[in-house]
Amino acid sequence: MIRLTVNGHPHEVDAPPLSRLLDALRLTIGLTGTKEGCGEGECGACTVLLDGVPVNSCLVALGQCEGSEITTVEGLAMGDELSALQRCFVESGGAQCGICTPGMLVSAEALLRDNEAPSEEEVRDAIAGNLCRCTGYQRIVDAIGEASVKLAMAKRPQGGE
Amino acid sequence: MVPPREGVRTFPPSGLAKTELVSPRTIAEACDVLSRASVEGKRAVLLCGGTDWIVDRHLMAPEKVKPVDTVIDLTKVAALSSIGFHEVDGARRMVLGGGVTYWSLRRDARVLGTVPMLATMARDVGAVQIQTRGTLAGNLASASPAADGVPALMALDGIAVLTSTRGERRVPIDGFFTAYRKTVLEKDEIITAIDLRIPSDGAIVTWRKVGTRLAQAISKVALAAVLERDASGVVTRARFGMASVGPMTAPLRNVRTLLEGKPLASIDRLALDAAVAKDVTPIDDVRSTGEYRIHVAKTLVWRALHP
Repeated sequence: MIRLTVNGHPHEVDAPPLSRLLDALRLTIGLTGTKEGCGEGECGACTVLLDGVPVNSCLVALGQCEGSEITTVEGLAMGDELSALQRCFVESGGAQCGICTPGMLVSAEALLRDNEAPSEEEVRDAIAGNLCRCTGYQRIVDAIGEASVKLAMAKRPQGGE
Repeated sequence: MVPPREGVRTFPPSGLAKTELVSPRTIAEACDVLSRASVEGKRAVLLCGGTDWIVDRHLMAPEKVKPVDTVIDLTKVAALSSIGFHEVDGARRMVLGGGVTYWSLRRDARVLGTVPMLATMARDVGAVQIQTRGTLAGNLASASPAADGVPALMALDGIAVLTSTRGERRVPIDGFFTAYRKTVLEKDEIITAIDLRIPSDGAIVTWRKVGTRLAQAISKVALAAVLERDASGVVTRARFGMASVGPMTAPLRNVRTLLEGKPLASIDRLALDAAVAKDVTPIDDVRSTGEYRIHVAKTLVWRALHP
C-alpha cells in the first residue's frame, strides 16, 4: 500500500511499487487528465508536480512517491472555477487538440509559482519538455505570459489612490 | 472526475510486478541493503530518477525484462544530494553528491558561483522534467557515451567516490568506463559522490552541445573543456570530455598532449584537427553521421581554444 496526497486528498494506492506514477493516477485513482503521450520521458504530456517540482509521471515509480504530494491538472482549478492560467489558455487559443494541454498547464503552473514575471525565454525553457504538434507554441507562450500579468494584477493591493 | 475503472490493474511489466522497493535514508543503510542482496544472490538495482531505467523496462519486450528482486530507491538518501567544498594541496575542490540533480546544478548559487559550466551543461539536459529527476550518479552508471553530465565531470578532473560495506574507493572519471555501457562499478558499490577540481581563475571553461534541437535532444557531439594558462599564455592544463564520438565519453588525450606546455596562440589548426581525429571514433547512427561528427568535434575543440 503506497500512501500519497493527490491534489490535497490523501490516497492509499494498492499497486506494485514499480508501477508508474502515471498508471496509478489514471487507472487506480481515476484522474485521467494526466495523459500518456510517448511513455519515455520525451513529450511531457504526463507532467505532474511531485512535491512542487515538475516531473514526467511515466518515469516515476509509484513507490518513490510514498508520503509525497502530487498535483495534477485536475488540481489547478478551484472547483468548477478555472485558474487564471487555465482561462488564459482558453482565451488565447493555447489549447487545440488537448493532449499536451494538461502537461503544458502543469509545467506553466510550476514556472509561475517559482517566477512571477518570467521572460519569454524563461517561459519557453519551462515548457521545452512539453511537445505540442498543433499550436506552434506561440499561443501557449502568449497564454502563460498573459497569466503572469493577470496574477500580478490580482496580487496588487485593492483600493488605495 | 472519471470513476476508477474496475478490474484494471496497474502492474508494471513482467519481471517487476513482484519487485520490492526499499527506500533507505542513509548511505550506510543503502550499502547494507545492496550488500545483503548481493550476498543472498538477489538481483538488486539502484534507482535514482529512473529517466533511463524505467523507460527501458516499460518499453522492452516483456520476455526481455530480467526479473529484479529488489529496487533500492536512492532518492530519499539526503546525503546524496549534498554539495560541498574542500581543499587538497591548496586547490579548491567541489564535492557533488551522486544524487545531485541537473535541476539543482542549474539553480545552486554555489555551483553558479564556482563552476557555472556545470549549470550551463545541466540546462542542456533533456528539459525541466528530466533535469528534476536525472542525477550525476545515474548518468555515470548508465554509462551512455552520449551522456551530457559525464563529459563535464571528466573535464573537471572528476573522481567518482564509490562506497560499499567494504569501504570507499576513488576512481577518476576517465578510468571509470571500461567499454560501451560498462564501468568499473562492482555489484555492491554505490556512486556516492563526485569530487571535482575547480578551475583556476582565468581558465577557459567551455560547454557546448550540438543536437537536433535545443531541448529534449541527445547530442550529436558535446564538448566540455577546461584550459588553464600561465602568465605567458602557455597551457598548463588541458582537460576535455567529449560525448557521442565513440563507445565511451572521450577524454581527448592526444589533444591534451598537443596543447600542454605550448602557448595557446601557437596551436596550429591542422595539427589540432589531426589530434582530434586520433581521439575520436564516431559512428553513423540515427542521430548523425560519423563524418559530420568528426567535423563538429574538430570545430568544437578549435572554438574551445578561441572563445
